[in-house]
Amino acid sequence: MGAKEIVDKIKDEANAECEKILSEAKENAERISKEAREEIELQKKKFIEAEERKGVEEEERIVRAARLNARKVRWDAEEEMIGKALDEAMDRIKEVKRGGFKGNSYSNILTGLIKDAAMSIIAGSSASSELEVMLSEGDADASFVTPDMLKKISAEISAGGVNVRLSLSNERIKSAGGIIVRGKDGKIEVNNTFEQRMARFSTSLREEIVKNLFTK
Amino acid sequence: MAVEALKLIRGGEEEGRKLIEEAKESVAKIIKDAEEEVKKLKEKARVDEKNLAVQISDKYAKEGGEEEKAIMKDAEAEAEKLKTTAGSNLDSTVNVVLEKILGLV
Repeated sequence: MGAKEIVDKIKDEANAECEKILSEAKENAERISKEAREEIELQKKKFIEAEERKGVEEEERIVRAARLNARKVRWDAEEEMIGKALDEAMDRIKEVKRGGFKGNSYSNILTGLIKDAAMSIIAGSSASSELEVMLSEGDADASFVTPDMLKKISAEISAGGVNVRLSLSNERIKSAGGIIVRGKDGKIEVNNTFEQRMARFSTSLREEIVKNLFTK
Repeated sequence: MAVEALKLIRGGEEEGRKLIEEAKESVAKIIKDAEEEVKKLKEKARVDEKNLAVQISDKYAKEGGEEEKAIMKDAEAEAEKLKTTAGSNLDSTVNVVLEKILGLV
């Protein structure tokens, strides 16, 4: 082999080696690029899934809050109308004082409330009771309850076995109407003013109001 | 003659070494370019993710907002209905309340 052939061989080998090196480098570069793209795609897929989950949760939160607000809107409307019914009832008491209610004069209504209160006080007692009836300023001035009425009520209750003596107190109560009956010793008292009765029956009253008010 | 031949061979060897050296330098550039491309791809992906996050969030917020509007519209309508029904039953309900507080039931 001559020197030229040797040189050509060396060059051929060098060229072959170069090609091999470059080819491997290109393969490596393509692998790096391919792996990176795959990784980015996977990451993007995971990212979208996570963001979608967050989005769904956010949408659900908005809807939950809206449902809560909607309930409040309905509840507010109900409360407004319940309040209106209660206010209207208190307002109508003035009319009741003038014209009675369902065939009952206001005096009769107070008579019933006095009896009810007196019976509650003497319940379970066998001793005679001295009770006094307190009225509001307006009811006292209008003489809706007279000593004669109280005498009659006392007689009716006493007929049941327990001697009761009702009298009118000079003390006045601040109320839209109704009465308070208490023992002369001041130990026991039954408050049958309309405000107290409204408060006392508030739970059952609310049920009644809701049942009547919102039934078509 | 032999000296000339040896010179020629050495020259060939030197040329071969240079070629390989250049090829190795090209390898470094090819890899560096690939890494640079990856870096750019990742940067673009980060920007894309930010945009995607906004798009997805907007989409669900919009859907939620629309549902919210519908729910509130229904609730307002229902509240109005309740008020109308209650308005027509107000008088009889007031009578029920009065019966109770006046001690007639």
